[in-house]
Amino acid sequence: MVSKKKKTKKPHFQSFQDTILNLQKYWSKQGCVIVQPYDMEVGAGTFHPATTLRSLGPKPWKVAYVQPSRRPTDGRYGENPNRLQHYYQFQVLIKPSPKEIKKLYLNSLNVIGISHKDHDIRFVEDDWESPTLGAAGLGWEVWCDGMEITQFTYFQQMAGMECKPVSVELTYGLERICMFTQQKKNVFDLLWNNEGIQYREVFHQAEKEFSAYNFEHANTENLFKIFDMLELEAKSLIEKKISLPAYDQCLKASHVFNILDARGVISVAQRAEYIGRIRDITKGVAEIWVNSQK
Amino acid sequence: MAEFFLELFSEEIPPNLQKNAREFFLENFQKLFEEKHLKFKKSGTYSTPNRLIVLFEGLDKEIKEKSEEIRGPNVNAPEKALEGFLRSNKITENEIYKKKNEKGEFYFFKKPEKIIKTIDLLEKNVPLILDKISWKKSMKWGDFDLEWGRPLKSILCVFDNKSLPFKFYHLESSNTTFLDKEFEEKKGTFRSFKSYQSYFKKIGIIIDQNSRKKLIENTLHKISKRKNLKLDINAKLLNEVTDLVEQPNILICKFDPKFLEIPKEILIITMQHHQKYFHTFDQKENITNEFFVVANIKDTKGFIKLGNERVVDARLNDARFFWEKNKSQNLIKQISKLKSINYFEGLGSYFDKIQRMRKLGAMISDEMLISKDKVELSTSICKIDLTSDIVNEFPELQGIIGGYFADSQGFDKDISLSISEHYLPTGLDGRVPRKPFSVTLALTDKMDTLVGFFGINQKPTSSKDPYALRRSALGIIRLLLENKKEFKISDLINYSISLYRDQGFEFPNANVQKDLSLFLIDRLKFYMKEKDIRYDIIEASINSFSIDHASKMYNKASALNKVIIKSVGSDIISSYKRASNILENELKNKELNLSNTTDPGIFKNEYEKNLYKKIHELRKYFTSINKDEDYQVSLENLADAKVTIAEFFDNVIVNDDDQSIKKNRLELLQMLCKTFDNYINFSNIESF
Repeated sequence: MVSKKKKTKKPHFQSFQDTILNLQKYWSKQGCVIVQPYDMEVGAGTFHPATTLRSLGPKPWKVAYVQPSRRPTDGRYGENPNRLQHYYQFQVLIKPSPKEIKKLYLNSLNVIGISHKDHDIRFVEDDWESPTLGAAGLGWEVWCDGMEITQFTYFQQMAGMECKPVSVELTYGLERICMFTQQKKNVFDLLWNNEGIQYREVFHQAEKEFSAYNFEHANTENLFKIFDMLELEAKSLIEKKISLPAYDQCLKASHVFNILDARGVISVAQRAEYIGRIRDITKGVAEIWVNSQK
Repeated sequence: MAEFFLELFSEEIPPNLQKNAREFFLENFQKLFEEKHLKFKKSGTYSTPNRLIVLFEGLDKEIKEKSEEIRGPNVNAPEKALEGFLRSNKITENEIYKKKNEKGEFYFFKKPEKIIKTIDLLEKNVPLILDKISWKKSMKWGDFDLEWGRPLKSILCVFDNKSLPFKFYHLESSNTTFLDKEFEEKKGTFRSFKSYQSYFKKIGIIIDQNSRKKLIENTLHKISKRKNLKLDINAKLLNEVTDLVEQPNILICKFDPKFLEIPKEILIITMQHHQKYFHTFDQKENITNEFFVVANIKDTKGFIKLGNERVVDARLNDARFFWEKNKSQNLIKQISKLKSINYFEGLGSYFDKIQRMRKLGAMISDEMLISKDKVELSTSICKIDLTSDIVNEFPELQGIIGGYFADSQGFDKDISLSISEHYLPTGLDGRVPRKPFSVTLALTDKMDTLVGFFGINQKPTSSKDPYALRRSALGIIRLLLENKKEFKISDLINYSISLYRDQGFEFPNANVQKDLSLFLIDRLKFYMKEKDIRYDIIEASINSFSIDHASKMYNKASALNKVIIKSVGSDIISSYKRASNILENELKNKELNLSNTTDPGIFKNEYEKNLYKKIHELRKYFTSINKDEDYQVSLENLADAKVTIAEFFDNVIVNDDDQSIKKNRLELLQMLCKTFDNYINFSNIESF
């Protein structure tokens, strides 16, 4: 229960789109390349080649972007106030990780309305691992007054390769952050812009329909076939040493796997096998990509 | 004397790593100083998430290495020996001299008195010790080569109020450190730990984790008392929270009371595990909607309290959504869902598992003298909660949630409680189910698991036990012992094997029965050891009975252990050893065949007769007792025989010239030992 506050003055809210714009402006000032979302279904901002592939090899790199992320199993037909199968992450990747990254991060919170002087910002241990990417990192989930708002990770390994130098990745959960700054209990009540458009109007129907697709209607027989075809395509491209198109096949395969998982047709034993298959092709891609950078 | 003070400033280090690092550094510096015979008055180690501190007070500034005469090679030894001696001592021929002793003539070198400065020792050894730490998990950052728990930013090292500079990878130590952990912009210089600690104290930061912990604990108790609330502080959580903050600020918050309807375990897990809050109870032990947050900063605008309350509301809202959805889903109708959940490769699905458990449970219900129907019902529905969203969200609540489902759908209390408790006990100290239905279901589940995994050769190794089979086996032992139950475990194992076979699972391991029995005995040994039973007594009881008598093994060992150093124990052991020593000696030396019969007709004196009579009394006692043996009484009876036995040995010479009399007396001693062995095989017991 939220304790009743006597103060009547309403704090100034930042809309969802302003939050994105402010983060982009801020990180642009820090010298980041601002790229656009990758034009493909991905499970997290990390999958964008601007993070996965660019975190490999010795070349310095600074990038920031917003990435729509799809997690079919998290769909709730738009009925749950906190869960979505499609949501936004704001992603920053800097290689090598700068010494003052904590300061840069805390200042970025300031531009979206969270001052570390008024809030309890805590760095809570969270070691990150992505079996599909063959990736691992150490860092924290950043808590703001008890809520996780960011993943803060020093990449140690990507696609099975050691990261040298080490990149730092910041992943902001945009909906959570805005629910926090706008003080909303339901994600669909978020103000998208300052003209009264809510998150509901933009995405509610999509949540309903994609949940139905992911859980009920996706043709699993075809998806299994598609998975195999994508894997085959990826392997053939790896053989031809064409890294980026090959990586696209990995992303597609990963999403197909996620839908199959949501449909509940993948058994425990199969799960590990499918994840292993995606990881293997991702590793293959990463190797030829790294070689192409020399 | 001087102070040695080291501060390692880094980005936020997780609590468990902080603890390891504190212990490591303290231990290793102590070791260094001890090796060098360097004395100190006080040592300490402290940490906050960003600061790791090692402190030695009253440290000697220098060590005197006394002058000593070092003997070199014999004067007649080859040239090379002398060269080696000179080299290893870093000296020239001018510094040595010849001297004779009783072994011959040798070269000698008089090592002069030497003074080692502590500052030099530290300069050399601090970086070595820093480099030696092995983190449970470490990382690299930027393009540096150093590995640390989290990025290390600065090293402050002060000895005798002066900076002690050294290089460590890309860093250089100094007498300064960052004052603000957020931006790492302001730096401060410190000459002693005292000034350092008081600087931080002034700005509200408590460096010493023990003081922080005390402060948190006291504040929690104070506010609870004022609000008439009860606490149940989880020690692990308290330690963790202590190491997550540097300026603890305790806030009392509330969640919406409507969430009090959902099972309290969900509330507790959400608060304790996920949010690191401290939950509270009212005076009637009911959980309340008030909880404590340990923030790391003052809540000047009230945002922090508000934010934490919103987070827990959102989480509980999620949990309630699932709870409401799942609790009314008919358990019986969902049994077939288990067919699609794989139990383990080679052991079938969960549906297969509960089919086996039904039958195994029915067998145990006969032993427990409880309703077979109810046991069959509880085995059938005990795993349904694995298919629920709520267990998917809170995996650690498996079983407990199933119990709530059963309860809310009107199943018998016996059934819902048994489901709730069927994963128990979970360790050496965890709670053990007491109710017969709970004991039955818990035993059934564990037995089926163990037999299955042993059947497919997934036994634990010395280092790995991924399926927690040791815990399951210890669970069986505790369920039996602590409920004073004795089953034919070997029959259960055999039956369980046959149930797998009936389902078409062929085990590659043909020795499940033997392997699993040994494994259970091994866990029983472990359990007895933990109960501080003497090793030889454990061995004696293990050698005396099979796993089918686990309770008896334990209780006899335990009773004997209690009296072993008292007069009862020493009376028994001394009597037994007197007899068995003679017997052993005689049996070793000659070809002697004892026939297990004594002929009272050739007894020569009353001492023999008395002993014979005593043995018969004892035998009668042991045949008269049944399951209700009072082990204390048995031991006292054995001890009581002491006088008779002593009189026998004091007055009778076993080694009589007449071979038939001698043999007869040995037979008598063997009878005596065997009678004692009715209790436990005393030959394993060591006498002190």
